[in-house]
Amino acid sequence: MATAKDPNLRPIRTSSSFSRNPSAPSVAAPSPPVPGVKPGPSGAAFVSSGIPDLDKILGGGFLLGSVVMVMEDADAPHHLLLLRNFMSQGIVHRQPLLFASPAKDPRAFLGTLPSPVSSSKEERQRAPGLDPDAKDKEKGLRIAWQYKKYFGERQVPELHDRGIEQDFCSDFDLRKPLERQMFRAQQIDCISIQDSANLAVLREHCSTFLSNLSRNDGGNVNAGRIAIQSLCAPQCGYSEMDWDMVSFVRSLRAMIRSSNAVAVITFPTSVLSPSFSKRWQHLADTLLSVRAIPDEDKELAKLLTGYQDMVGLLHVHKVAQINTQVPVILEATTFSLKMQKRRSLILERLNQAPVDASSGTSYATSGGCSGSSKGSPLDF
Amino acid sequence: MAETICRTLRDGSLEGEQSPALTIKDSLQSPLGSHVFDHFLSTLVSHISAGKSQASGLVLVAFDRSPSFYLDLFKTKGLDASLVDKSVRILDCYSDPLGWKDRLLHSTNAEESILKGSGTVFKNVRDVNKLLSSILDLGKGFTGEGKVRFAVAIDLVSIMLRHVSLPSVAGFLNNLRSNDQISCIFWLIHSDLHEPRASAALEYISTMVASLEPMMQSSDGQGTSGSLLWLEENSCKAKFHVRLKRCNGRVKLLYEELHTEQAGIRFEAASSVRTIVNQNLLPRVQFNLQLSDKERVDRARVVLPFEHQGNGEAIQIYDGRRSLSEGQKDPYLMQPSAFSHKMNTQTNNEKGEIHYIRDSDDERPDSDEDPDDDLDI
Repeated sequence: MATAKDPNLRPIRTSSSFSRNPSAPSVAAPSPPVPGVKPGPSGAAFVSSGIPDLDKILGGGFLLGSVVMVMEDADAPHHLLLLRNFMSQGIVHRQPLLFASPAKDPRAFLGTLPSPVSSSKEERQRAPGLDPDAKDKEKGLRIAWQYKKYFGERQVPELHDRGIEQDFCSDFDLRKPLERQMFRAQQIDCISIQDSANLAVLREHCSTFLSNLSRNDGGNVNAGRIAIQSLCAPQCGYSEMDWDMVSFVRSLRAMIRSSNAVAVITFPTSVLSPSFSKRWQHLADTLLSVRAIPDEDKELAKLLTGYQDMVGLLHVHKVAQINTQVPVILEATTFSLKMQKRRSLILERLNQAPVDASSGTSYATSGGCSGSSKGSPLDF
Repeated sequence: MAETICRTLRDGSLEGEQSPALTIKDSLQSPLGSHVFDHFLSTLVSHISAGKSQASGLVLVAFDRSPSFYLDLFKTKGLDASLVDKSVRILDCYSDPLGWKDRLLHSTNAEESILKGSGTVFKNVRDVNKLLSSILDLGKGFTGEGKVRFAVAIDLVSIMLRHVSLPSVAGFLNNLRSNDQISCIFWLIHSDLHEPRASAALEYISTMVASLEPMMQSSDGQGTSGSLLWLEENSCKAKFHVRLKRCNGRVKLLYEELHTEQAGIRFEAASSVRTIVNQNLLPRVQFNLQLSDKERVDRARVVLPFEHQGNGEAIQIYDGRRSLSEGQKDPYLMQPSAFSHKMNTQTNNEKGEIHYIRDSDDERPDSDEDPDDDLDI
């Protein structure tokens, strides 16, 4: 038969029944990998959000073909941090970018985008956070079961591909702006949505942008990014047309589903009526919210470790699941936003400070009717 | 604190950033908002005249009260009239906001509109762009060294919202804020004249929100019926809450009490200190289970009350007392959880033996508890 001569078929001779062979030129991955796009399970593809911790939390990054919505807090501009990292990552990976904002001059925002840090020792120091657990596991496992083989296979590429991990998601230095020359070689469209009386213009722009990124073209299409800041900000002309805004987001979502792009939309929930705020939240595939924390709050400082460094809180409400019926269940949904050395953004799980036994706080009185005038914030 | 607000208004904006914006919010139940506005206005004007503020002048957009009221106000506060003249320009949107007098002039030849010294009459409040340009024109009239910036005070944004839609007002305020000639801007609204959406939108645009709340909450919804005491209390006192958005992304919440007096208002530190804890903050906070290095070393050193310490030494049982004497050996293989039962019997001898039969050994297999019954075959 021709099988012996055919280089595309692998001879099935290994002892285990199935062996995963990533280098097999099978039909699953016909095209060479696009820079900045990582394949995931169930035929999904991820692009990085620009924040390594967020990628890990969301299970790989932002799913291509999904809409990410970020609920802003009226009190703090943290959504801009997320947007900046997202846009910078797109520029670093040479992905086309569409940016819409209610400012008069959206191009000015591009000047605040952070530039990636060239790999240094410090990143390697942080990255081992994921690896020593793996190494410990390898040493500590003494169960006589063959799965260790597969573990070894999977983990060795992880260790070697740390370089590739860095390519997927760069570490950004928020103090340094992105170099101008990166903008010139790029396709970046900026639109101001303040003076538009309706959303037709924005919709036009989005559809022309996405028509170049359609998923049905075979072959290698680059992933695109759409970033819309404060879509329902009160100064935009259409901000009282609630139903129009909802239908815009729905049509954007439909357009994105069939293209190789990710949209990140931030919106302030406080300026929408509660029912429409819920509708917007349901339209999202991935829903995050940022929240400000009170300043100089002694209660909070006692409750949490690392309160001094915290900039704000990030809450993950929903994680996108496309082509799969298995939901992503997160261990923790609330994270603190911290600036590491004022430079890069990290997300950490909230850690409770050790309880001071002498202070007699209300942890002990977590019953329904506590005598203290203010309830413990942990009552749940 | 009111002082913080006055200071922020005085210091104005940083280069390249939008100017600070203050919303003063009151309601029917605590109607002292205009007093608060007057207080901030006169403080700022005195700072401007004394040259202590970033702004070289102030443009006052008067919707609710006539310019003469403000001139009298400045006089009662002790501000010199000539200084006021130099540093304050009033845009009069009170006398004739929609330009009706002009139309009447045609037919009846009535009195002409008198242009006061420092007031320009604005006749078309529906045109927001024109309002913006008039403000900027008035602002250009201020002289000063270096970059000339001026402050803007808007008497009552609620009246603006009557004439134009919310997006226009929001856009107008936003344009003012982002204009680099503006040092700071503040305005007053009556929150019960609008839908909550409008107040939320204005709070979204501003960097400081000062809201007035009644001292005594009324039990019924109306609030006007009921005790005279309540009315009296609320018409001369109020709770003053301030929410400041700081540049590090955090929110500062302050609280004071407000009392009206003959000469104006007075702010007092709160009599009952209430900490405002963010209640909806953290549903699940985990404990940090990671050990630091020191903790790890300490943990390795702890002597466990087991037989085997895991380090190859002779079997020694630590019974919790201070001294770890060598002779105390007990050749029984109990689980450590039941250890405490037997501690008392160890007192005497080194060569004592204890025979112990586990309770579970002499149990008969209980027929009720046939474990195979659980299998549903």
